[in-house]
Amino acid sequence: MSAIGIKPGDAPAEQKEPNYLNVSHTISSWLLTGDHKRIAMLYLVSVTFFFLIGSFAAGLIRLELTSPSGVILESDSYNRAFSTHGVIMVFFFLVVAIPAVFGNFLIPLMIGAKDLAFPRLNLLSWYMYVVGGAIALLGIITGGIDTGWTFYTPYSSMYSNTSVSTVIVGIFLVGFSSIFTGINFIVTVHKMRAPGMTWFRLPLFVWAHYATSVIMVLGTPVVAITLLLVVFERAFKLPVFNPELGGDPVLFQHLFWFYSHPAVYIMILPAFGVQSELIANFARKRVFGYHFVAFSSLAIAGLGFIVWGHHMFVSSQSMYEGLVFSLVSFLVAVPSAIKVFNWTATLHKGHVKMQSPMIYAIGFLGLFTVGGLTGLFLGAAGTDVHLTATYFVVAHFHYVMVGGTMLAFLGALHYWWPKMTGRLFHDGWAKITAILVFIGFNLTFFPQFIIGWMGMPRRYHYYYFAPEFQAYHIMSTLGSSVLALGFILPGFYLTYSLFKGPVAGSNPWGAHGLEWETTSPPPTLNFDQTPVVLDEVYDFDPVTEYEEAGSAQPVLSDTSTSTPEKDA
Amino acid sequence: MASSSHASHTDHHHHVVPTFTYVKTFIALFILMVITIAAAKVNLPGVLFLSGTVVNQLIALGIATIKAALVIWVFMGVRWGTTLTKIWAAAGFVWFILIFLILADYTTRSYEQAQSFEPGVKESALPRAPIKSFQEENPNRNNVRIRQ
Amino acid sequence: MAAIAHGHDHGHDPDSPLHHQFEDIEQQNESYIVGMWTFLVTEVMFFGALFLMYTLYRWTYQEDFWRCHNMLDVTKGGINTMVLLFSSFAVVMAVQGAQLKKKLQVLGWLAVTQACALTFLVIKYFEYTHKFHDRLYPGVNFTDNVANVGGANLNVSQLFFGLYFGMTGLHGVHVLIGMLIFSILMVMWAKGKKIVVNDFVPTEMVGLYWHFVDLVWIFLFPLFYLMPKPH
Repeated sequence: MSAIGIKPGDAPAEQKEPNYLNVSHTISSWLLTGDHKRIAMLYLVSVTFFFLIGSFAAGLIRLELTSPSGVILESDSYNRAFSTHGVIMVFFFLVVAIPAVFGNFLIPLMIGAKDLAFPRLNLLSWYMYVVGGAIALLGIITGGIDTGWTFYTPYSSMYSNTSVSTVIVGIFLVGFSSIFTGINFIVTVHKMRAPGMTWFRLPLFVWAHYATSVIMVLGTPVVAITLLLVVFERAFKLPVFNPELGGDPVLFQHLFWFYSHPAVYIMILPAFGVQSELIANFARKRVFGYHFVAFSSLAIAGLGFIVWGHHMFVSSQSMYEGLVFSLVSFLVAVPSAIKVFNWTATLHKGHVKMQSPMIYAIGFLGLFTVGGLTGLFLGAAGTDVHLTATYFVVAHFHYVMVGGTMLAFLGALHYWWPKMTGRLFHDGWAKITAILVFIGFNLTFFPQFIIGWMGMPRRYHYYYFAPEFQAYHIMSTLGSSVLALGFILPGFYLTYSLFKGPVAGSNPWGAHGLEWETTSPPPTLNFDQTPVVLDEVYDFDPVTEYEEAGSAQPVLSDTSTSTPEKDA
Repeated sequence: MASSSHASHTDHHHHVVPTFTYVKTFIALFILMVITIAAAKVNLPGVLFLSGTVVNQLIALGIATIKAALVIWVFMGVRWGTTLTKIWAAAGFVWFILIFLILADYTTRSYEQAQSFEPGVKESALPRAPIKSFQEENPNRNNVRIRQ
Repeated sequence: MAAIAHGHDHGHDPDSPLHHQFEDIEQQNESYIVGMWTFLVTEVMFFGALFLMYTLYRWTYQEDFWRCHNMLDVTKGGINTMVLLFSSFAVVMAVQGAQLKKKLQVLGWLAVTQACALTFLVIKYFEYTHKFHDRLYPGVNFTDNVANVGGANLNVSQLFFGLYFGMTGLHGVHVLIGMLIFSILMVMWAKGKKIVVNDFVPTEMVGLYWHFVDLVWIFLFPLFYLMPKPH
């Protein structure tokens, strides 16, 4: 076992060599690319676009809720606002963001491959995402949807007069995007690891994405056919969910949540992968209990498929089933808890450097824990009867989705920005942003736990029956403004870094991983020569590396300290 | 090192299956199809606790499963495939079964009914306070406008 | 983790079917086959939800479903099953031809497959038009003649025929897509395109898809056409 000497900030002359960004500049070289890194950048632009639209809808919601009798929206419009927010954020941002941007970019790099297994399928994946997104947007503009992102029948299949079919077609196409990405990742991880990269030498990021891909492949088709049946019922009057003709609306809920619960694990597992990387590399310490963390990803993927009924405790499903689902929901919390404990243990006696990605990682640790624990309140069938369809649920899933996935996305964006773009950003601004995001987030969503407990229903745009909630709602809206500021700021300093930022070396953070052993940005075929892996990825030598590690500033001359570069 | 001719690209994993194997499999599939149609025309008697209907259905599904297994094992090449292919074929089947867990809801609903309101039966209503309108409860709140 | 670089490249032989991201042809072949199987697993889940729906509704409305199913033509269903089974056989013969690089064998057997698929669709067409004639199509125009549904409850009949058209229709769409893909494959073989001639795996992948289509029908046939009488 040995550590490689990491030289922060290699010679900027590397920038003049062709890398995946400057190897060609034509539009068709971008739109017809097979390079996983370019596709990842295409995804980055598109998911950011959809995130902005979803955020706008969220802004409308928060604005509307500042007064007990509503502010600017009618009931119908408010229904469209929260449905749009849900659909865009769930299907077009959360499910896609980390896997499609960072998974695509990093998995081949992390395993030492030249590309994913199926580059053209990867490109098709992106096109399906963009086309699906365009169709969904078309639906949202031409009438919107007011069914909620959950499309419960029989309202969505029989009574809603909105563009349900159009939006569902968009979601259906994005589902294919998901499936193709999943297929790509699974085959790549199985078949294209570099020599010596055994399963247990893989970075935990790759394990997490492998588990995510399994869920994508097994779950997405179910929601695809379920939503398609809603469209068929609207268009061709296929009466599968119509109670008047013998159909069962609750069956829709079963089928919908059969995917949508594993879907939330699709949203969080890649974030777990990012978190493992951030914690290990910024604590300069091996992830505690690597095997446990790796297997817990698989356990979450497996168990996640048998807990869907906890969304349906009050749906008239059998009470016996409710009992079983409640029990298994408590079980599925265990692997997540294992991860949280292991990350915390990794920090113990590590040499922590609080650079911006680490701030996001620590924030994730706290916020995800809160979200996960409040999930247990909801997983217990008895308390769920009181809390379901209140703002408690809203706060819970925003804690895990925004406090978890979104923070991990931002952390990943900052951590791998130098690798993806070859530029360093100003870490000071990034730290301020991270703190703003944390504060704004808590201000937005913690009050929602309180009013949810007190009975504030979700998807209501008025609460005149409980005007005492107004103070909390105003606090929440205030927080959302701070959060919005935190989300906007990276747009400025990251874009600035593209043009004026210092040039990054191959390993500005002093991190471990095959991706840091090639240039920033990497060449099209990732590595000049195929790496051979001799040991696990997280073998840090804490003391020397901490002193030596870069603080995201370039070292223009080769003044590396004593640790020699070791081979073998 | 450069790959030149590919005439020798007969991978060990993809040995060419003799035609006769395929013919045998096809004939087996055909015979099974005939059997399943014939069996469907006969109303079989019940066995133990299973009614005749169930027996018939099980036989039909059983034959279908055997046909599927033949197609997967021989025609789709799983017999000569890698371990990963075998695992994948099995996993698909397992997960397909998982969806049928949804039936657990419907089969167990009768075990313990949640109390519900039956129209016309006053006693079945859960005890609750009579619902007043907002105006009744808040006669002095002039500054709150209800927007519809 | 130490990374020792070792020199590596594979010759850029333009005739080689090896793509740049793979090390050798064996890795590529296995990757493609595993990838195709993963896709087929997604298709299994896609149809799986429909099979569940069928199971639930049939279990709930056994008598009415049995009566409706009497309106289905077992002969046509049986011929369709025969045709699809034979087409599966034809496909494996075509794949064998691809492995042996025998263009005529490939084209011949693929043509047989196409003929079988077309026969299947034509028989389906006749079945469907007969049902449309009897107004057995779910919707406001659904028949009100109880005889047309074999004496079953008219509401539940809409459910049965909705499932029937939905499942066999979706299957039919997959057959049609298969025919399209086979056409493209045949054109590529006829033109001697290197991508299919030098590497049998694309042909095998299409074959796998077609076997899946056959598998779905193997289950659809007994479930819809061979329902036992409920006691």
